[in-house]
Amino acid sequence: MSIPFPSDAWIKAMMEDLNQSQAYEEAAKNWEGDFYFVIEPGGSLDHTVILYMDLWHGKCREAYEVKDPEARQPAFWLSGPVQTWKKVMTRQLDPIQAMMTGQLRLRGNMAMVMKNVRAAKELVESCTRIPTIFPV
Amino acid sequence: MYGRMLKVDLSRGDVAFSMLPRDYVEGFIGGSSLASRLLWDALNPQHNPLHPDNPLIFITGPMTGTGGPTTGRFTICGRSPQTGLWGESNIGGFVGPELRQAGIDVLWIIGRAPEPAYLYIHDENVTLRSARHVWGQADTYATQALLREEVGEPRARVACIGLAGENRVPMAGILSDHGRLAARTGMGALMGAKNLKAIVVRGTGKIPLARGDEYAKLRVASNKSLLEQNMTAVLRATGTSGAAEYLQFLGDMPQKYWTQATFEGAASISGSTMAETILTGTKACQGCVIACGREVEIVQGPYATKGKTKGPEYETICSFGSQLLVDDLAAITALGEVCDRLGLDSISAGNTLALAYLLFERGVITEKETEGWTLRWGDPSPCFVLLEKMARREGFGALLAQGTRALAAHFGMPELAVEVNGLEVPMHDPRAFSGQTLSYLTSPRGACHNQSDFFQVEMGGTLEEIGISLPERFRDEGKAGLVARHQHWRTVCNSLVTCYFAVVSPMTICELLNAALGLDWDVETMLRAGERGWNMKRLINLRLGLRPEYEKLPRLLLQPLPEGGQQGYVPDVEKLLSEYYVVSGWDRTTGWPTPEKLRSLGLDFVLRADVL
Repeated sequence: MSIPFPSDAWIKAMMEDLNQSQAYEEAAKNWEGDFYFVIEPGGSLDHTVILYMDLWHGKCREAYEVKDPEARQPAFWLSGPVQTWKKVMTRQLDPIQAMMTGQLRLRGNMAMVMKNVRAAKELVESCTRIPTIFPV
Repeated sequence: MYGRMLKVDLSRGDVAFSMLPRDYVEGFIGGSSLASRLLWDALNPQHNPLHPDNPLIFITGPMTGTGGPTTGRFTICGRSPQTGLWGESNIGGFVGPELRQAGIDVLWIIGRAPEPAYLYIHDENVTLRSARHVWGQADTYATQALLREEVGEPRARVACIGLAGENRVPMAGILSDHGRLAARTGMGALMGAKNLKAIVVRGTGKIPLARGDEYAKLRVASNKSLLEQNMTAVLRATGTSGAAEYLQFLGDMPQKYWTQATFEGAASISGSTMAETILTGTKACQGCVIACGREVEIVQGPYATKGKTKGPEYETICSFGSQLLVDDLAAITALGEVCDRLGLDSISAGNTLALAYLLFERGVITEKETEGWTLRWGDPSPCFVLLEKMARREGFGALLAQGTRALAAHFGMPELAVEVNGLEVPMHDPRAFSGQTLSYLTSPRGACHNQSDFFQVEMGGTLEEIGISLPERFRDEGKAGLVARHQHWRTVCNSLVTCYFAVVSPMTICELLNAALGLDWDVETMLRAGERGWNMKRLINLRLGLRPEYEKLPRLLLQPLPEGGQQGYVPDVEKLLSEYYVVSGWDRTTGWPTPEKLRSLGLDFVLRADVL
C-alpha cells in the first residue's frame, strides 16, 4: 500500500527501510547527525511539513513528523519545495546537486555532508523503495 | 571612466598613458575580451611568442575593485609561449583593484628590459627599478615581501614570477598576494622573457563608476544574495576541493593520469578532510564574500609547515594527489607550495609528472632517464626535486618543463599526452561530461575549464534565464547550442573579470555592468558582447595557425574507463564539433567564422584587414 508523502507514516517507513539496508549501513558508517527535512508547500500540499530523522553510524535511531520545530535542535536542516523533494526522491535530481545549486537549502556542517556523498545516494535509494503518494 | 591604459616599453624605458577608444570598451567590455581586441591590432604572427614586441597585458574589468560580487580579479594576457596561441590567465587577490586605484585599467608591456627589473607604480608615478638582487635568488613569496619592503609601501601589491618564469619555462605563471597564481598558458615565461621580475603597485585613487549610487545598491543586494547561496557555503566551508568526493563519484576527478576510475584515497585529500584536519582559516580575494582560499598549518611530520600557509585547491589536490595516487594531504600541500614558490602551473606540472610516472610504470623510461628517481604511484617524494629541476630546466627537468606534449613525443608515445592545443587538460574528465568535452575542444587557450565550466551546468548549475537548461551529461546530441551559449556567458564573466564560483544571475550582472559603464544594455546585448569576444580570440588563433583538425581529444581520453561514475562513456567528438560549428557560424573546413557571422557581431573589420 502506498504511503502519502510527507507524513509521519512515510518517514517511519523510511526508517524501517534504512535499518534493513546493508548498503546504507556501509555508506553511512561514519555519519553522525540528525536532520530536519523541511518540505515546503506546493501543489496540493498547503503547509510546511517537517520530518525528523536521527541518523547515526549507518542506522536510523528515530524518525517522526515534527509539529513544533523548536522540539529538537538537529545538526542539519534540509529545506525545499515539495516538487524538488519529489525530483530527488524519484532520482530525477541528484541530492548533492540539489544542495550545491540551492534547490534544496542546507543548514549545518557542509564539510560533513560533502564527505558523505554515497550515504546521500543510499538515502535516495531508500526513498525509491517506499511506495509513495506525492501531493498533486 | 574605465579604459585608461598605461603603456610601458621596457626596451626604451618609456611610459605613456592613454584612453582606449570607447567603441573598444562597449564592444568588448574589458578583461580578456578587450585584451584580445587590442592584441589583434598589435599581433605579428611571424614573431616567436617570446619576441620583445609581443605585449604582456595586465587587464582589469569595469567592475574590478568595486566590491561587486567577486570583482577582485584581473587577467593577464598575451601570446602563449606554451601553446603558441592566445594566452590568458586570470588571478584573484588584490593586484587588479590596486591597479585600478592607481588609475590603470590596462597595463600594456612591450620590449625587454636591459637587465632584470621590476616596475613600480605608485598612482601616476611609474618607475623601472633593478631586480638584479632578486633575480635567480628569491622565490615568489620572498620576492613579494622584499619588494614591498624595498618600496617602503606595506600596502603595495606585488605580482611576480619565480625561477620558472625567469627561465622561460612554458608553464610558468605569475603569482601575487602570497599564493594567488595566474597559472595557465605561460604568462610567467612571457614576463621572464621581458626581464621583468615583478610589478609593484600602490594606488590611492577612487575607482570611477558611471552611476555610483545605483551600483552601490546593486552591489549590496547581489553580495547579500551570493552569501545565501549553498555553493557559497560549500566553498567557504571546504574550499574548491570540497566537492572532490562528489566529483569522483561522478567520474569527473582524474586518477592515475587519466587511466583509473576510482581512488580510495580521494576522501583523505578532499576539502572536507582539509577542513577537519589542517585548516586554520579562510582567505578571500578583494571584496569577495565567498572566501574559498584555504589557510592551513601542518604542525608535524616531514611536511610540517613554517606556520600558516596556503592550502591546496581542487586542481592541486588532483595534480599531486589523485593523479599520482598520493593520499597524503600534507605532501600535496607541500608540493602546491613548491609550485607557488617556483611560479609553476600546478595543472600542467602535475599532469606532466603524472605522465612521467605512467611512462615509468610502462617501462618506457627508467631511472636512467629520471636521473636515479624511481617514479612509483603513491610516492610524491621525487616530485619535489623534479619540480625544482623543471623550473631550472636542468637534466630530466628540462624535458618535463616542456609539458606533456613534448614529453610524450620525446618517447614516441604522443597518444599519451593529455592536452588540447598544447595545454594540459585540467582536472575535470571529459568522459564524465560531454559538454565539457566540447568546451575543451573549442576553448581559445587549449584545454581549459575557465573559458566555460560547462560541467557545472551538467551537474545542475543551470541558467534558465538565458536558456541554459539541464542537459543529460552523457548525451552528445543537442549539446552544442547550450555550450556555445554558456561560452558567451563565461566570456562576459572573463571580460568583467568575475569569478566562476559566484552564483549571480546574468540579469544582475547586466544591471551592475550598466551602472558601472553607464550603459542601458539588456542581457542579450551583453551576451552578444561575450560572443564577440569569444570570436575575437578565435580570430587571433586562426591568424596564429589554429586549424579545425587540431581540435581533438587526446587518444588516452577516448578510451572508456571500465568502472566508476563515467559509466564507460566516451564523447563523440565529431558529432559534438559538427553541431557546434553550425550553431557558432564557423566554417567546418577552414575554422573561420563566416562573413555573415563576423558582420552580425560587428567584427567585419577583420575582412578588410590586410593581415589575413
